[in-house]
Amino acid sequence: MSGRLGIGRVRALLAAALLLLPAAARAQFTLRSEVDARKVGLQDQIQLTLTVEGSGAPDEIPLPPLVNLDAVAGPFQSSQVSIVNGRMSQSRSLSYVLQPRAVGKAEVGAVHAGGQSAPAIAIEVVAGSVRSREPQRQDPFGRDPFGDPLEDFFGRRRGRAEAPRLLMEAQPSRTRLRVGEPLLLTYWLYTQTSVTDLQFKEAPQFAGFWVEDLERAQGPPSGEPATVEGQSYRRFPVLRKLLFPTKAGTLTLPASVFRIGLARTGFFDSGGSVERTTKPVTVAVEPLPDAPGFSGAVGRFRATASLDREAVPLGEAATLRFRVEGTGNLKWIDRGPELALPGAKVFPPQSKSDLRTTPSGIAGSRTWEFVVVPETSGVVEIRPLAFSYFDPAAGRIVTAETAPLALRVEGGTVAAGLAGAPVASAVARATGALPLRSDLGKPAAGVLSSRALIALSGLALLLHAGLWGAERLRGGSRGALHAASSRSVRGALRDLERAAREAMSKEQAASLVEKALDEAFGAIPDADESERARVVRALLDDVRFVRYAPQLGDYSDKLKDLAARAAEAVRRWA
Amino acid sequence: MRARGSLLLALFFAAASAGAGPADDRFRQANDLVRAGDYPRAVALYGELARSGSESATLYWNWAQAATARGAHGEALWALLRARELDPGDRAVVRDVERLRESLNLDPAEIAPEPLAVAGRFAKRFRLDLVAAALLVLSLLAHALARTRLRPGGAIGIAWGALVLGLAAAAVPGAASLARPTAAVVRRGAPLFDAASPSANPAGTLREGEVVPVLEASGDWFQVEDNAGARGWAHQADVKRLDRAPAAASQD
Repeated sequence: MSGRLGIGRVRALLAAALLLLPAAARAQFTLRSEVDARKVGLQDQIQLTLTVEGSGAPDEIPLPPLVNLDAVAGPFQSSQVSIVNGRMSQSRSLSYVLQPRAVGKAEVGAVHAGGQSAPAIAIEVVAGSVRSREPQRQDPFGRDPFGDPLEDFFGRRRGRAEAPRLLMEAQPSRTRLRVGEPLLLTYWLYTQTSVTDLQFKEAPQFAGFWVEDLERAQGPPSGEPATVEGQSYRRFPVLRKLLFPTKAGTLTLPASVFRIGLARTGFFDSGGSVERTTKPVTVAVEPLPDAPGFSGAVGRFRATASLDREAVPLGEAATLRFRVEGTGNLKWIDRGPELALPGAKVFPPQSKSDLRTTPSGIAGSRTWEFVVVPETSGVVEIRPLAFSYFDPAAGRIVTAETAPLALRVEGGTVAAGLAGAPVASAVARATGALPLRSDLGKPAAGVLSSRALIALSGLALLLHAGLWGAERLRGGSRGALHAASSRSVRGALRDLERAAREAMSKEQAASLVEKALDEAFGAIPDADESERARVVRALLDDVRFVRYAPQLGDYSDKLKDLAARAAEAVRRWA
Repeated sequence: MRARGSLLLALFFAAASAGAGPADDRFRQANDLVRAGDYPRAVALYGELARSGSESATLYWNWAQAATARGAHGEALWALLRARELDPGDRAVVRDVERLRESLNLDPAEIAPEPLAVAGRFAKRFRLDLVAAALLVLSLLAHALARTRLRPGGAIGIAWGALVLGLAAAAVPGAASLARPTAAVVRRGAPLFDAASPSANPAGTLREGEVVPVLEASGDWFQVEDNAGARGWAHQADVKRLDRAPAAASQD
């Protein structure tokens, strides 16, 4: 049974949670003053507890001023350190036992410590005793061998003044509902003292219910103030269960017995445990109406359907997903819709769920996936799929329908035949659906073999080399003229520019021009009567004339002219 | 002289049409046999066409359909792989090769034991042989032009660029030619023998559809190496080569 309590798990969970009982504070350091009763008899005693939580609390907390009250015992000090989710919290409590002096008004004054304060508490004192005598808590070890040696002398225990005030309550969210509707059952712990442990002594049996555990809220447990029969408590939700009645009639949730561990409140107090019992809860469950096709779902739902593809080759499969989502008892519903498609084979569906339990029911979706294998080409029509459920708000059965779908089936492929070769062959034979190509087509175009390509590449390299070599040979046959021109035309032009621009002797300038001409054109054969040869020879004659002529005047203009003519010749013919 | 030329031209076209016609007719005949459900005869006819030189991706596509309908999935995969060899750009063939491979529970590597074969298909698909030849010729022309008196600007650069690209393009099919020939297993449970003889001892079995490199050929036998590294001899009726047309009719 899914709802059966894991006692060990509950125990650990509650122990961790209740260790934080005094830690209701949210600030770094809080101060709290509490009494266990606001109305007491003159013969009764009151327990005053001063609690500091968090870091930075002062070491000493003074006893607040008392009006019409005497402190007859205490202070009893207790400390608690808890580590929850890696966070450490610390609390310290001082307890006093107060005795009223006279009938009338009494008051515990405001407490001030470390910049924090707790308000004063008014108490009404009446004659006699208003407190019922609760049975003494059970001590499995009998009398404590290390108990208070002065107990007999003073006639009463000096540790815990009286039985702790603790209550357990099982609270249903409603007591009238339909079969399949969720019911939230909360177990509350009401307490006026620190609790260290809580466990089922007798685990409750939920006959006639489907039980789901609710996830525990994240973060530290937080209690809330509550008053029961005039007594102030803090109450904590210790357990929540979601129950779904599975049959109609009057169903009873039996009483549950809890064993609650108590924290030590003083040096002479050994703690211990007490038992508390919840009251039985009775629930009236009404039956569901019946209708053809009713799925048994109760709640609010929406149904959708989709195909994983719009078109599929013949012989291949498509997936049809039918999805129901909403809140209710969807976890119960296993049976998907009936699906039969003419012209296609439908395999039994697989069901997938994405559900989570919430206080209002089981929310999420359930999906049924049908594998559809078309057996003929064309269009496979998928009519709307229906999902009937009981809507508690409307009080009737409602049917949700999906939109119609169409699956286009195209001509098959080779792989299509593999889904089931014999079947596919039979279908192919019957329908002639094999996708044969009608045109033989041209024979595959031949390609150059790798040998041919290698030969072609080698031939190309040889021809390139031949062209390059022929050019070299041609240059050689033309003599040094070509070699020189290809060697350094730019250098010759630079020399000519220097000769025209820089201040140097006429011999140096003429020598530079002659050198440039020699570099650009080399030796000019005597037999060469081309224009280029004539121009170069004339330039060389003029250069040599200037170079060897006596220094009778300024030759700079002449040299500039020579350099310009030589540069023009180089650019033109070199 | 003119009449003689016309006569030769007419004879050429007549010969061409005479050669194409019977092949098309036999192809249609084979297709009709498939539609009639006579798959063995259809496959035999496809085989004859392939051996007669009328190989095409279409022929092997239809062969694959007939083989599939007959339940010979290994043979169908071989036919599709052969079709892919002939026309690597046929996307329908490539798609069905993948589907068939998955249906036969074969790993992609089990139908591609020779990575260089991919380069061969790439070269064939994009006709890198013709591209390489064109680039090499272009480089020669540009080089020759650069050596003339015209000396057009950039001719040398074009010559060098075309030469490098041409050699690179030629290298791809050249590298692909280094791949070993392969064959596909066309029969389920095809035995692998330790010698090229029917009386040899079986050394294992080959997986249907698996493509294996052919290490050696001897008569009707191929020495192959399966994907697990086991070497042995398989009969050509059980394994069909992917680099050439089937040598003999398939055994039905």
